[in-house]
Amino acid sequence: MAMSCRDRVLAAMHCEPLDRPPAAICTTCDTIDMMDCCGAPWPEAHSDPEKMARLGCAQADYFGLESVRAGFCLTEEAERIGCKMRMGNKTSSPMILSHPFNYDPQHKKFDDPSKLAEAMPLEDFVKGGRVKTAIDAMEIMHRTHGENYVVFGGNTGPFTLCGHLLNAESLIYSVWTDIEMAKSWVAAVAPYCHAFGQALLDNGADVVQMSEPSASTDILSPDEFKVMSKPYVKKAMALKNGMTILHICGDTRGIIPYMYDTGVTGISVEEKVDSYEAVKIANHRGTLVGNVGCAFPLFKGTPQDVEAAAKKSADAGFNLISAGCGVPIGTPASNILALVHAVKTWKPPAKG
Amino acid sequence: MSEQALLKKLAGAVSNLDPPGAKAAAEEALKEKMDPVEAINKGLVIGMDAVSDMYADRRMYLPQVLVAAHAMYEGLDVLLPAIPKADLKDVKTAACGVVQGDVHDIGKNIVKTMLTAGGYIVKDYGKDVAPGDIADGCKKEKTQVICLSTLMTPTMDNMAKTVALLRENGYRGSCTVTIGGPPTSAAFAVEIGADHRDESAGNCVKWLSEHKPKGGN
Repeated sequence: MAMSCRDRVLAAMHCEPLDRPPAAICTTCDTIDMMDCCGAPWPEAHSDPEKMARLGCAQADYFGLESVRAGFCLTEEAERIGCKMRMGNKTSSPMILSHPFNYDPQHKKFDDPSKLAEAMPLEDFVKGGRVKTAIDAMEIMHRTHGENYVVFGGNTGPFTLCGHLLNAESLIYSVWTDIEMAKSWVAAVAPYCHAFGQALLDNGADVVQMSEPSASTDILSPDEFKVMSKPYVKKAMALKNGMTILHICGDTRGIIPYMYDTGVTGISVEEKVDSYEAVKIANHRGTLVGNVGCAFPLFKGTPQDVEAAAKKSADAGFNLISAGCGVPIGTPASNILALVHAVKTWKPPAKG
Repeated sequence: MSEQALLKKLAGAVSNLDPPGAKAAAEEALKEKMDPVEAINKGLVIGMDAVSDMYADRRMYLPQVLVAAHAMYEGLDVLLPAIPKADLKDVKTAACGVVQGDVHDIGKNIVKTMLTAGGYIVKDYGKDVAPGDIADGCKKEKTQVICLSTLMTPTMDNMAKTVALLRENGYRGSCTVTIGGPPTSAAFAVEIGADHRDESAGNCVKWLSEHKPKGGN
């Protein structure tokens, strides 16, 4: 009997041997074509649980991907805590327009992290806003697709969320000038990340995929990652009754071992790390997800380019074949289908 | 203090990530009657160049670059007003901005810093900038170099629109357009009619120094 999509993804998450890996995009994948197919476009799909669930399931319903996934941005938590937003339209994602706290390392003027709980008590955090939208969407997706598909829920990493709340540039600046203040803020934010992740799992998600782009090595050194992100991701992702994936953008070669140190089930990396090198550095410490390039080949390449990249990730030994980061919404349907086709027809390379 | 020692102090304040030190050194340079242009080019800029190289080699990361940039601007704030207006007429001009639909401006701010360190007077259009604002503003001010940035793929089209408007308003042939940001590529630069795309702000400024900017004053 053929293996169900759910069983295949669960087996892959547990690093069990398979005839082929699943084609399962754990980062955001909600293209314009998907919006059109399922009738749940942005911006409504960011705020309406039913539309969010429908769009999150479109990747499986219309494109043959082997899991389902929501939400679609990294601003839900920031808005809930007090960032002003522009919600965008069908082709532009929600954007943060203002930060609710004062954090000015150049003039040494900082709000105390205790202001966070004053602005948004932790116990209220998951009860409203688009955080609640995503939680409710998990319940719908579990009900409609959970029998056959693994449900991925997405949340934002503590260093990244902290940057949203304070101003990312100021937070990054202070990593050099006022590191204890920076740490105290990220530490204060981490419980919110944990609360959201746990609520996603408690309401139907099988896996929480955390994105922590501001901790990329384009921004923080590996040593800075170890003190500014890793300990707080570890606390935020210490979740019960589910699995976890940590995604970080960029050239993650220098931090892959530290990403696993956070205790997550798996990690997701971009194409900026060569597939074979990623597998070697990962050294079987957990699930490895990726790493078909988003801008190229998914967005700008041909189906042949996508097939070649997907096969390379599979040949190298990635457990789940996924986009290396969030899939651009203008990605052609033919390229998504090419990824799915390449993975589903993949055969292990001949030994010898 | 000798001129050489002062220049070393200016450069060192930037590369040692010391904003108050850069301000103090700039004030000292003026007090010692040093040419402010020389203090910038042979002092602050040398320090920022060293930082740029260390960033490219991954011996420094963004926190250090941001502090170094702050140090450079602390020095510039003192030195720029001291430059006689007549000395500014031949200066290179550049504009930078994050295209409409995107508010992620850290990359753009690094480009601005590196351009300033490269001797450009930079107009910062900020983030979420409408294509027409950049195209018309740069034409009006005869800006030589236009650097467009975006972090996100959906907003890449607004880079194309900005370049198209520069063609429409007749200024495209008189300026150099560079683009940057993770989703962009050299092929995309060619596709939209930009002159160059770079991964690194420092390398972009080096590319500009090897490819004399068009037009301008």
